[in-house]
Order: sequence, then C-alpha cells, then structure tokens
Amino acid sequence: MTAASYPSAIRMGKIPGLGSPGLVKKAAAEKQGDDVRVIKTACRACIANCGVLATVKNGRVVSLRGNPEDPMSKGRMCAKGLSGIQALYHPNRNKYPMKRVGPRGSGQWKRISWEEALDTTAKKLMETREKYGAETVFCSTGGGGNPEIWSIARFCNIFGTPNWFEPGCAQCYLPRVLAYTMMYGGVDPSIADSNALELYFPDDTPIKALVLWGTGPAWSCPASGGGMVADLRARGVKTVVVDPRFTPDAAKADVWLPIRPGSDVALQLAWIRYILDNKLYDADFVMKWTNLPYLVDVETKMLLRPEKSGNPDQPDTFMVWDKKTNSPQPLEYPWNDALDPALEGVFTVDGRRCKTGWQLLWERVEEYTLEKAAEVCWLDAGKIEEAIHVFTDNLPSGLSIGVATDQTPNSVQAAMAAATIDLLMGNVERPGALLQRFRTSGCFDMPNYPVPVAAGRLPNEQLKKRLGGRAHKGLGIWWAGHPSSILEAILTGEPYQPRVWIDRSGNKLGATADSQRWEQAIQKLDFIVHVYMYPTSFSAYADILIPAEEWLETDMLVETCNTLVARQQCTHLWETMDETLFWSKLAKRCGELGHEACAKAFDADYMGHDLPYWDSMEEFLDHWVNRLGMSWKEFAAKAPIEYLPKEQWRSYYVYQQPDPKNGGKPAGFPTPSKKCELYVESMITLGRTGRPFSPIDLEPADQDYDPLPYYLEPVESPLPDSGVAEEYPLALTGGRVPYYHHNTLRNIPWLREMYPAPELWIHPNAAEKYGIEDGGWVWVESKRGRTQAVAKVTQGINPGTVYMERFWNPETLNTPTHGWKEMNVNMLTKSTAPFNDVVGTYTLRAFQVRVTKADGAPDGVWLDPEDFRPWLPTPVQPTEEVRI
Amino acid sequence: MKQLTFVVDLDRCIGCKGCQVACKLENTVALGEGRNKVCTIGPNGIYPDLQMYFLPVMCQQCENPSCVQVCPTGACYKDEDGVIQVDQSLCMGCGSCKRACPYEMIHSNKELRVADKCTLCVQARRDGDVPACVRNCSGSALYYGDLGDPDSEVSKLLSATDPSHIYQLRDFGNGPTTRYILRHDDWVDVLPQDCVEHSVHRKGGRKL
Repeated sequence: MTAASYPSAIRMGKIPGLGSPGLVKKAAAEKQGDDVRVIKTACRACIANCGVLATVKNGRVVSLRGNPEDPMSKGRMCAKGLSGIQALYHPNRNKYPMKRVGPRGSGQWKRISWEEALDTTAKKLMETREKYGAETVFCSTGGGGNPEIWSIARFCNIFGTPNWFEPGCAQCYLPRVLAYTMMYGGVDPSIADSNALELYFPDDTPIKALVLWGTGPAWSCPASGGGMVADLRARGVKTVVVDPRFTPDAAKADVWLPIRPGSDVALQLAWIRYILDNKLYDADFVMKWTNLPYLVDVETKMLLRPEKSGNPDQPDTFMVWDKKTNSPQPLEYPWNDALDPALEGVFTVDGRRCKTGWQLLWERVEEYTLEKAAEVCWLDAGKIEEAIHVFTDNLPSGLSIGVATDQTPNSVQAAMAAATIDLLMGNVERPGALLQRFRTSGCFDMPNYPVPVAAGRLPNEQLKKRLGGRAHKGLGIWWAGHPSSILEAILTGEPYQPRVWIDRSGNKLGATADSQRWEQAIQKLDFIVHVYMYPTSFSAYADILIPAEEWLETDMLVETCNTLVARQQCTHLWETMDETLFWSKLAKRCGELGHEACAKAFDADYMGHDLPYWDSMEEFLDHWVNRLGMSWKEFAAKAPIEYLPKEQWRSYYVYQQPDPKNGGKPAGFPTPSKKCELYVESMITLGRTGRPFSPIDLEPADQDYDPLPYYLEPVESPLPDSGVAEEYPLALTGGRVPYYHHNTLRNIPWLREMYPAPELWIHPNAAEKYGIEDGGWVWVESKRGRTQAVAKVTQGINPGTVYMERFWNPETLNTPTHGWKEMNVNMLTKSTAPFNDVVGTYTLRAFQVRVTKADGAPDGVWLDPEDFRPWLPTPVQPTEEVRI
Repeated sequence: MKQLTFVVDLDRCIGCKGCQVACKLENTVALGEGRNKVCTIGPNGIYPDLQMYFLPVMCQQCENPSCVQVCPTGACYKDEDGVIQVDQSLCMGCGSCKRACPYEMIHSNKELRVADKCTLCVQARRDGDVPACVRNCSGSALYYGDLGDPDSEVSKLLSATDPSHIYQLRDFGNGPTTRYILRHDDWVDVLPQDCVEHSVHRKGGRKL
C-alpha cells in the first residue's frame, strides 16, 4: 500500500475518527471519557498550506499526518510540518504579553495583561504620531508561520504610515510577481509560492520539459512542489536545473547548469539570443500575441499610438511596419490579416526614429552568445545549448524561476528575462504551460490572503513620504517600503527619523542584510514591539513582546487549487492571540485614544469594500465564506471543499475567449495592450509616475526603468576588476535545506538534531587551497563581517563558489550575542547600493567571501542531540481564547 | 510465506528526511535515536559530472535475521507477517541484536533500556493504516507490502521493473528483503553506518 492509495483506507473508515462514527466511538471507548477528534486543517510551518489531519485528544494535539484530500500535497507531509507538535508545545513559547524591565538586551521581562500591552503600545503610537508624524512609526513582517501578510500593510494604511516592509518583498518573490503581472498579467510560475498549479495534475498535464531556475522544490517545499516534480519526472518530463548547488533536483535533472552566483541574467540573455537566432520561438504567437512587432520611438522609449482608446476595456491601437506597403500602419487590436508586420528593423515614422520591440530585444541580447555566457557564468557552452534544446524541443515546456535571482540587484531583470523565455515559446495559457489564469473561488479580494489591505485609506500626503518609494516604485505593487531606505533613515535621520517599530517575524537580525547595521539602528529607536510565537534575537531588543499563535492554534481560509481549505484551531494555549486579530485590537485601542481613521475602521458603512476591522477571527472569516452561503463554522465542518471541478477550474486560453465588453474580440491579456508585453513599456510609466500601482503621480525616479532585461555584474564579483576578489576570492550563494523555513524552527529538537549548524559547501580544490577540512569549523568573512559554519567539502559546487545556509541560535539568546552573531550569513550580506532600480533589491547572494579554518565551534552552541532536551515539548492544558 | 517489507523507488526519493520525523512522531523515538535514516549517496564523480541519490534505510526484514539468532531471551522474533519484532517485555537490553545487525538498524529505547527498531508501524497496521514514513513520504518513494503475494503492489512494482535496476543492501548471508529501485544512477555498495549526514558529525558522534 502506498501513500497514493491511502484515500481508499480513509473511505473504508479504517482510520480512527475519519468519517466513521463507529470508529470514533471505538477509539473513544478505549479509555472511558477520552475525547478524540481528527481535525482537517492546513499546515503553516512554511508558506505552503499542505493539508493536515491533526488528532486531538482531550484538547491536546497528539498526532499529525498529511491529508490525502489536498490536491497539492496529496497526503504528504514534510519534516517542518511534522514537527508542528514540538513547535506548539515548545517550553519557550511566548505565553503572555511581556514588558521589558531591565536595560535593552538584558533579557529581563515581566508578565503584563493584554490590556496593558495594547494600552502601552497604542499610547506610544499615538504620542509618536502626534509629536513626529504617523510616518515615523513603521511595521514589518516576515516568513515563518505567518498566517497572512496583508494585516501589517492594512494596519499601516489605516494608521497613516507608508512604511511597512518585509526582508522578503524585493528580496523574495515581489520581483517575479511584478514582472509577470506587467508582462502578461497572470500568475507567476514560482513553485515555492504555490503556483504552477497546472503541474499538480500529473496524469492530465501534457508538459514535456520543466526548467527549474534558481529553485529547488525538493528542499524548499518537499510535500507539495517536491513531490510534484518527482511525479513529473516519473512520467518522463525532462528537467533542466540552473543552480550553483548540486541539489536533489539537480541530481535528478537531465541537464544541470551550475551557474556562477548572480550571473543568471547573462545566461538568460544567451537563451533568448539563441531562441531568436535559431528561430526556435513560436512565430505565430510572437507576431499576434506579443508587442514585439510594435514600433517604439527610440527617443521617448514609448510605443507609437496612432489612436488612443480612452476605454479601459479596449486597448490603444499601436503602429507596425507593414512589409507589404513598406509603410507604417496602425494595427487595430487584435490583428489585421491584411498587414504583414516586420519583426526586425529600424524605421523612420514622421521623422521619428523607431525600432520594433523585437529589434530592441535583439540588440539587447546580441552580444550574449553561448560562448560569452559560458565565460561569464562559468558553464560549458555545449551544456547550455543542450539545456536550451531540452526546453525548446519538448513543448509544451515551462520555466519556473525561484527566489535565487530575487536576492541580487538583478532581481527584476531576471524575472523579466524568465518571462520572456516562456512567452517567446508561446508557453502561456495552453495546457502544459506554467503561466495560467485558472479560475478562483471568488472568496478573496486580495492575492492569496483574505485581509483587505485598504490601500486607499493611506492619505496621499503620507504615501509621498514612503521611504524608498520614489526610487523604487515597483514596491508599490505590494504597497511596501524599502528596508534599506528605512535603515538609512534611522541611522541618519534623513529624510526624517523613524522612531517606533512593530515587527512580526522570526528574527529580523537573522533575516535582514548586514544585520550589524540594524543593531546600530535599533539603539536609535524609542520603542519596539515584537509579535511572535517565541522570543528570538530580535526580542532581546524589544520593549513589549506579544505572544502569537502557532499554526495549530489558528483559523484561516486557504485556497488550494480548486479547493477551499480551513486552517482550524486545534487547541489554544496560554494567552496567545491570532496575529490577524492582534492588529485589529491595536487599531481599536488607537481609535479609542482618538485616532479618527482607526476608529472609523470599525464602521462597516465607512469601510465598505475594505471591510471593517473584526473583533474575532470567526467574524472575520464569516465574511469571506458567506460568499459560499455558509458561516465559518459550517464551512470548517465541511472543508476542504471543491469549489469547482478541476476541469472547469483549469481555464485554458483565457486570452482567446470573446470579450463582450470589447465587441466580442478576444479578451487578450490583462496588460495595457492586451498583448504579452515583452517590451515592457509600462516600466517607463512606472518609473516616471508610480502608476499603475500608485493612485497619484509620484516624483519620477532618477532614471527611467529599463523596459528590457539587462545584466549587471555583481558589485563584489570574482572578476579581477571588482577589486575584492584578491582578498575575498569566493562567491557566496544561499539556498534552502528541508528542515527550516527562513529563520524558523531552529528551536525544534527533531530538526536541530539532524541539522544543528549551517554547512558551508566548498569544493575540494578550494578546501585544500585554504586549509579547510571536511567537518571542520570555519570562519566565513566578507567586507562587512564574519561568522562561523561547518565545512562540507563536496564536488557538488564550483571551486570558485561556496554555499552557506542561514542560521541563528536560540540556545544563545541570553548571551551577549543574542544568538544572531555566531552562524549568521547575514553578518556578511550587503544592505547598501547598488539596488535594483525598480524594487530596491540589495545583495543577499553573489558577493565575495574568504573562508579560513576556525579553532572550533562558537561558544555555547548546541550540536549534540542531547543538548536539545530542554526544548522538548511540555505537556500543557488548553486554555480559552483571550477575550478583550 | 508472508513477508512484509519496504520497496523504495530511489528515483523518487528527494532527500527531505520527512520520513525520519514522521517515524519519531509516530513511534515516540528518543533524541539522538532513529528507526530509519536517509543516507546521501554522493555526489560521486568529478565536478560537474556528478551523480547523487538518497537511500532511505530501516530494518531490512532479513530472511535469516542475525538479530533474532543472537537474542538470548527470545524477545527478538519474526512475526507472522515476516516482520522482525522485539517483545520489549522479554528484552533485557543486552544489546546483542544491536551488535549483530549488519546495518546498525537496531537502536536503544533509552528510557526502557530495551532494543528499539522499525516495526513497520505495527500499531498503525492493526488499524488498517500504513507506516508513518510511507503515508507522509514527500516523494512517494516508499512502498510497503507482502513480497510473498504476487498480487501485492510491491510484487507488481518489482515485476514491472527491469531486474538490473533492483538492488538490495550488501548481503552477509542474512538475506535482506528490502528492495531498492534505481534506474538513472549507478548503485553504490555502502552500509548505512558509513554515511554521515551532517558535516559536524564527520569526526564522530551521531550519525543520523
């Protein structure tokens, strides 16, 4: 019997408590009075939402297993999720609100009531707003058990500060969301962000080749994406993996391209060049459904528009060069068979020099031959060619671009180039393609999470004060501020001095680049609140600690493919609170203290589409599932439910459907031209005005954003002219292991006993050169700092590259290091310019380090399994929800 | 004769080690101990021409189990399903079985001071369930079933597989019944105890 055939066992009622009242009774009868329930919930140990069956006995969660009804995880569950009980019952949970009673960093805390915690925080917020302006309050969030992201942005918008940030955003996922949104208007192909949903139906999808570029589903999301890729490989789908590390997916790939960290765009430009030069693209799709034949005024960088529509349902008419008449001709949407548009060429139209989008793209990629890419990227030209052919000769194919390219200033360009590669092949909205606009349940108004961000509630004069908002307008797609601009403002007081910080995340000192600078910044702040499930290094610097619920304590509505899932509260411990409720409580208290917008945020008529704030999670969730004609309680009892049969849910060729609002013409893509915009003209508008993401025109960025992808050599590069290679000879990259999500779970005995310290992967030749031995402790140093790791000497990495996993050490929380200095790769990363111009990405990977032998492990760190005994779960009785 | 055992499709194992945690959760296995383990085999070769695969190992349910032969109290026995069990009420914790197992797949329950090993989750199977590692396996690489029944899923899987792609751990005369399917890489004859998974344990200590 396999996991796949397991659902039959459930149907047969063989599992206690699963759809068989008789067996529940039997289980209960085993010991008189035991209350045993199996709750269908969803994990949140990472940002996937894998279906879980949680067995709860007398109010305590005693067992977890994957739920076979889940269309993505299919009953599989990974090490992170299965550790949920050790996380839930961890003895070091934040149990009650606390306030600091000693100096910052002293670790001296006193339990306080929820009333006092909210009151103290709200008073400080109001006082700061009054004295210095609401913009001097800033909030942040981050990965790890985050039930949803938008609560933080919503609170900021209503409170009136434009400054919330994530060390994710520009460094994680936002560049890809932005590029794919602007270029074709549908969902991006990130597997680790629970997209590429076409692939989760391996018996149905006709995909023949999958490129995993800077993503390793086997280790980033084993139970969903990892298993899915295994399913595809077993059905003969060919794979190409672009990754500096020899990961499990690389080991199983048909072609592995061990790229030099940070050089991805050079390789992508070579792929594009090769596809254009060898006419491997989908010629009909490129001509009819991309904007590459359209003429661009090379001076203004804008497309020629002989006619503007003025109607948002109808695109403007664009100009092409008609080869039949050898003249410029307007091309009315969607197409005109009478015309024969030129793809290539330089033309003069009304005295203006024009080129086709195609011509501009070709000029951009022309120098990137296979040989050039091989040299820049440390690859073999023959292997690059072989990889391209796996992708182009096995259609339909798809390219999933991962987080790797989001972590260098090339971020947006890499996402644009990845989209270009798929779109040139016509790999969009056809069966097998990753780029799809499948139907949704309609239960959400926001992407992925139900909390409405209420962006329109932020006063325009406050929006203009967003730190980094003028330079990096692409952050506007998530209404976010720029971490490094906030950091600089704290350190310099320019353009103003931020003063109060509310953070909800695992450990900002583990997650932000060049953490030492944040430690300096923290000293300048008046007041810090940390909301999380455990104290982390960041807590050591906070004034108030707020106890958040673990995922097994939370309720949330989740959409997974064609099903809706209820994450359900399986138990509740101590005085923890759902974070989605916390922000509401804080807004309420601010309203009571005289904040008008916060007070009005509870008024249903006033808030309208933005939804009034909620007094309980049930009230909040009722609102969304009411759209299904159910209450949350009714929904949770039935969930997961299939809201559409999979055949109806997978809507292909959406762009070809007739659009009644546009005279029955094909609907096209949700871009300004309704075509796939490979020449991303809207980048120009974005840089000059902030639109379409800003509701008002903002001051222009210093320079126009580039409408085409371009390659920036890493600022600290191994090339001799970078000036750092001599002293710091090795290029560093990062990447996942399957035991942790971001900075989470370093306090879990089952996971730490397997992976107690970060490994530093180094090639045997480099190891020999620098005197490093396998299993030995090393120092890793950059221009900014140094930290420690354990050397893994392996052939699975280029001799010029090293890999290091992120880490922090909860066991040294109460020492002078507060746990974040011993083994933290972000002691080395770079928070300063160059940034990606569009979104402000800094340098988390692809910079130079040196590695030297260390005398031994850092003081106080735990390495032996027995060391973790103090963190084993503590039995505890469930408690009632906090009511305030 | 009934012989329940694992068949592992190594082309599907993605090295996530979820099975190790699944086992610990299901069977309340102590810190530092484990009834199963995923070994990383490789990378072998010279960069960038490499091979690597992951090898989940657990009790191999041997035909002639040395652990049963050496047990002085009869605590260690092969049950009617062909599964090697330890009757912990009879075990005196002498460690003979642990020393006898050629794959070091018997561990200690430190609290009860008795031998502890994979039972193919006997308690789950009694309820019609499957072993915890199987049901949670992220790669769907783990199968279990009766090799003695030609119609079982594992028997069918093996008969549908090219025999040259079917492997077993080194046989010391004990006749391991666990079968490994490996189509795309070269099989490496290695014993689980020789695989150190985290570099920090390279110089001794825990091998999980």
